[in-house]
Amino acid sequence: MGSTRNLEHDHLWLNAHTDTRAAVYTFSSCITLSDLNADGDFKLIVADLGTGSTNVKLKVYRGTSLHSETALLDVPTGVTSFYMDLSEPRIPAVAVASGSNIYIYKNMRPYFKFSLPALDVNPLERDLWMQIRDEHLEINVLVELLNNLRIEIGHSQLSTRSQHILSLDASEAASFVQQHSKFPLKRQTIVTCITTLKKALTEEKAVSCLVVGTECGEVLVLDPEAFTILEKIKLCAQDNTIVVVPAILAACGLHAVEFRIVAACRDGSLRLARRGWTEAKLLVQLPAQPVAMTVSAENAAITIALMNQTLQCFSKKGKLQWIVTLPAAACSICQIPLPHQSATIIAVSLTGGLLQLYNGRQMVDVIKAPQTVSGVVFGRFGQEENALIMFTVDGSLMVKILKRTAHFNLQGSASNTVSVAPGTAQQVKLQIPKKTRLFLDQTMRERDNCIMMHRTFQRDLFQLRVDVARACVRALQSCNNPVSLEGAEPVKLSAQVLGLGPLFKMVISLQNISASSLVQGLGILFHFDDKMYSMEKPYLHVPMLIPGQEYPFETMIRNISELALSDQVRVLVVRDGQSQPVLAAIINMPVCDLLV
Amino acid sequence: MDPVFSALSLYKKRKFEECVTTCTELLDKNPFDQAVWVLKMRALTEQLYVDDLEAEEEGIAEAFMDNETIAESARPGTSLKNPGTSQGGSTQGYRPWTQTGRPVSGVVRPGTQTARPGTMEQALRTPRTSKTARPSTSQSARTIRLGTASMLSEPGGPFIQLSRINLGNYASKPALAKPLFLYILYHENSIRHALQLAVLATQACEFKDWWWKVQLGKCYFALGLMREAEQQFRSALRQHQCIETFLRLGRVYIRLDQPLSALDVCRTGLEYFPKETTLLTEIARIFEGLNNMTMSVKYYREIVTEDSTNVEAIACIGMHHFYTDQPEMALRFYRRLLQMGLYNAELFNNLGLCCFYAQQYDMTLSCFQHALSLAKDDDVADIWYNIGLIAIGVGDTRLAGQCLRLAISADSTHAPAYNNLGVLELRRGRVNEASAFFQAAASLAPYLFEPYFNHSSLSHKMGDLQASYIVIQKALEAYPNHVPSQELLRALEKHFTFI
Repeated sequence: MGSTRNLEHDHLWLNAHTDTRAAVYTFSSCITLSDLNADGDFKLIVADLGTGSTNVKLKVYRGTSLHSETALLDVPTGVTSFYMDLSEPRIPAVAVASGSNIYIYKNMRPYFKFSLPALDVNPLERDLWMQIRDEHLEINVLVELLNNLRIEIGHSQLSTRSQHILSLDASEAASFVQQHSKFPLKRQTIVTCITTLKKALTEEKAVSCLVVGTECGEVLVLDPEAFTILEKIKLCAQDNTIVVVPAILAACGLHAVEFRIVAACRDGSLRLARRGWTEAKLLVQLPAQPVAMTVSAENAAITIALMNQTLQCFSKKGKLQWIVTLPAAACSICQIPLPHQSATIIAVSLTGGLLQLYNGRQMVDVIKAPQTVSGVVFGRFGQEENALIMFTVDGSLMVKILKRTAHFNLQGSASNTVSVAPGTAQQVKLQIPKKTRLFLDQTMRERDNCIMMHRTFQRDLFQLRVDVARACVRALQSCNNPVSLEGAEPVKLSAQVLGLGPLFKMVISLQNISASSLVQGLGILFHFDDKMYSMEKPYLHVPMLIPGQEYPFETMIRNISELALSDQVRVLVVRDGQSQPVLAAIINMPVCDLLV
Repeated sequence: MDPVFSALSLYKKRKFEECVTTCTELLDKNPFDQAVWVLKMRALTEQLYVDDLEAEEEGIAEAFMDNETIAESARPGTSLKNPGTSQGGSTQGYRPWTQTGRPVSGVVRPGTQTARPGTMEQALRTPRTSKTARPSTSQSARTIRLGTASMLSEPGGPFIQLSRINLGNYASKPALAKPLFLYILYHENSIRHALQLAVLATQACEFKDWWWKVQLGKCYFALGLMREAEQQFRSALRQHQCIETFLRLGRVYIRLDQPLSALDVCRTGLEYFPKETTLLTEIARIFEGLNNMTMSVKYYREIVTEDSTNVEAIACIGMHHFYTDQPEMALRFYRRLLQMGLYNAELFNNLGLCCFYAQQYDMTLSCFQHALSLAKDDDVADIWYNIGLIAIGVGDTRLAGQCLRLAISADSTHAPAYNNLGVLELRRGRVNEASAFFQAAASLAPYLFEPYFNHSSLSHKMGDLQASYIVIQKALEAYPNHVPSQELLRALEKHFTFI
């Protein structure tokens, strides 16, 4: 961006609500807005990932307050709300995809659980597990045969149980087999992404189908009432052994008429499926991994943020329209439809807390958040139609409202990339000082007396070598080395003193700098004037040191002298039963500041 | 001879101890002799007087607990807090940074050690030895140590009992009040009482005496009340222009982190006192703080034309020449310092380096040997480190390694030595040791970019791309314009986004 315009328009957005202590950790796919009670008051439904294993909750915000929360069993991959039927009042359902199930909530109560159909288990694999159950087979033979099978059909075609046993040690395999062989063998796939697709009507509250991407490389379209599979689309050709897993899904159109499902896949491909297709078509192979994607409802143009810090737009036929280089890595994307300006703006959240709004390739606004925004959605929240909801990586929630009078400056220069004229970089002169007259004189002197100078230098160098060797020996003898010399213990010592005094904290860190050998049986001893300092732990025991790891040891030291003087403290690393210390360092203690 | 006259004569000869004893004897005879009383006060004050303008140093508490800070991220070149931001300044690429993360200065002053670190933790973490630590507040033990008198009990009680004295009585007598004020400020170091006296005295003279206003400003400054101090100094300057007042007002602005205002004040001062070296020095220092070395050196040159024996100016110009690739010029300036009678390890160290880089090899090593023989505990590490550099230049890596190890054994927190030792180990193919040394250097000196870059490129070669990526970002944080780091980061990003 060569533009120097200040794009921050504070007058466009109102700060409606900020809660820095919301402690909701989530992504865009797990946030949705929905009129849960059919009263026109839209709620914010968000799946909180908690710590990633615990505290996983489905939270509903009504206005600025937390309305309800429901515990979830597993980490969700997506949350979406949709209308299942035409019954009055029109209460939408909330679908939470998690593991291999989709949980449907109505009125925020569990309503239905849809499990993805089990996959076929390889007959040979089933046989093997049958045999081991009836104890006709040794465990190591089972592992070997499974390994052969894996090479033959591929790792992802095995059941999770076989995958797991192949990753175990021989010792653990036996107990694993004993525990699990009694149960029938199943092969389950899991949901990777979820979205909705209107069934027959385009209006806002029309019945929608769920569109689910699975780990086995399929996209399923589910009937909203009966939860039968209406369409099953493979993402790659049948004979292809490499499974293409969808990472992000987007759908537009109507299921009954004509629809397009775009899947951004983990191998960096964009694949398109349309009504009646059983196999998806490769639309385009991306140059980098996709991060987030949206598909425009009007012209089915695909805007996608990639890991190489670019935002790219493709036409519905997969033709690259434009590329914008982002100033930082993108985290998520959301669409901001502005019907009154007949435009759709794309908000891209960047690492570092910037949120850039693009109309096409032109940046129209910038919003600054205190932290990287991990999840962002735009839509109707409460009574307000244009609300932008942001969750940051540190778990805070921000709601901004687009002013009714807001008008984005959509007519800008067509191209906002200012190209630097070629050759300007070469025209910048480097500031190299000129060689002075003095330098020339000295060079003359050097040329005239070269032999003498060389001899003097060599003589001095020899003298220096002797001096250095002597100093080294002295340092060795006084054990004054924080880093071991060759042949000794491969340990490095560093020390730090923290605090203002008279109480200081001394942090000693030891590191084993050898490639593979362990060091053990060391201790740290402090040598100091006991009239000046008193120490909490004058001796510290050192555990075994693993190569490469740095071990910090802490102790407190107090200056007890009446006068505000400072002294040296010697740190000695000693080996049990050896009188000569291994390493040593002198710490010049800071003067302590006696506040007046 | 009249004992009063002899005491006066002793005072003029700067024999303060003897003057004080004579005065004490006289006061024992006649406790109400005001002339002798004042003389004793003056003598005691002179004994302990320190140039508080030179010794001034901002403490940690002032840096963090001030509520005057306005902008967190100042515009480039307007703040002393981030010297790297100014345009056209020197970069770390060719001028190394000191332990507190500022460009190396030609002379060590209290101010050059007082970088303004971003966080409290960073401030406390900076290697704190008895030589480099900054005080926690400017009114701390250090100031007291400069004027220890108030801590040592005198026989027969203190000369003046501050708590008993009636300041109001003295305030209206200028001949008594001024020496008393100086005594309270410098000898007793009691700013509260001094301020009280100054307020009373300035009221007594109906706000017409500029001297009292300057003293009031001094007290406010010491108490950290910068805006009040500014007001007093400004009002004093309206009545009477004095170099000290200009300097003090400049210091107020520096403390408020408004170096440009400080420069303005000094320039106004120069209009009244053209070519005044103290004002020129102040300007040069501020430019140095802003990392604008060209301007700084320009003013230092002006100082040298006025005062050809100004050590600070000569040293700073020499340093500037050295780091702008003109070691032969630097050599001339340092030689001038030597001729002026300066004889210490730092100077010989610098001379040695200049000789080496100006290709006067016959003098190089003898300079370093002089430096070693003169070195005290705290700078011997730097000298070994520089000898290590010479050894690397000569190509004797074994000698270099030994020198660097000696540097570390003299100062176990010498980060550049750790870094160079790491590079030497790497050349010998000992990767683990090298990596450990780089890590040690980085943890000791997070403001150096070299250890980060070395560590990152080593990790990159070893295939640990994740570690390399994390570390290179730190290198760029320390030195955003380092091109090899940027290239490495770009290469890594390509690795990560490549399918």
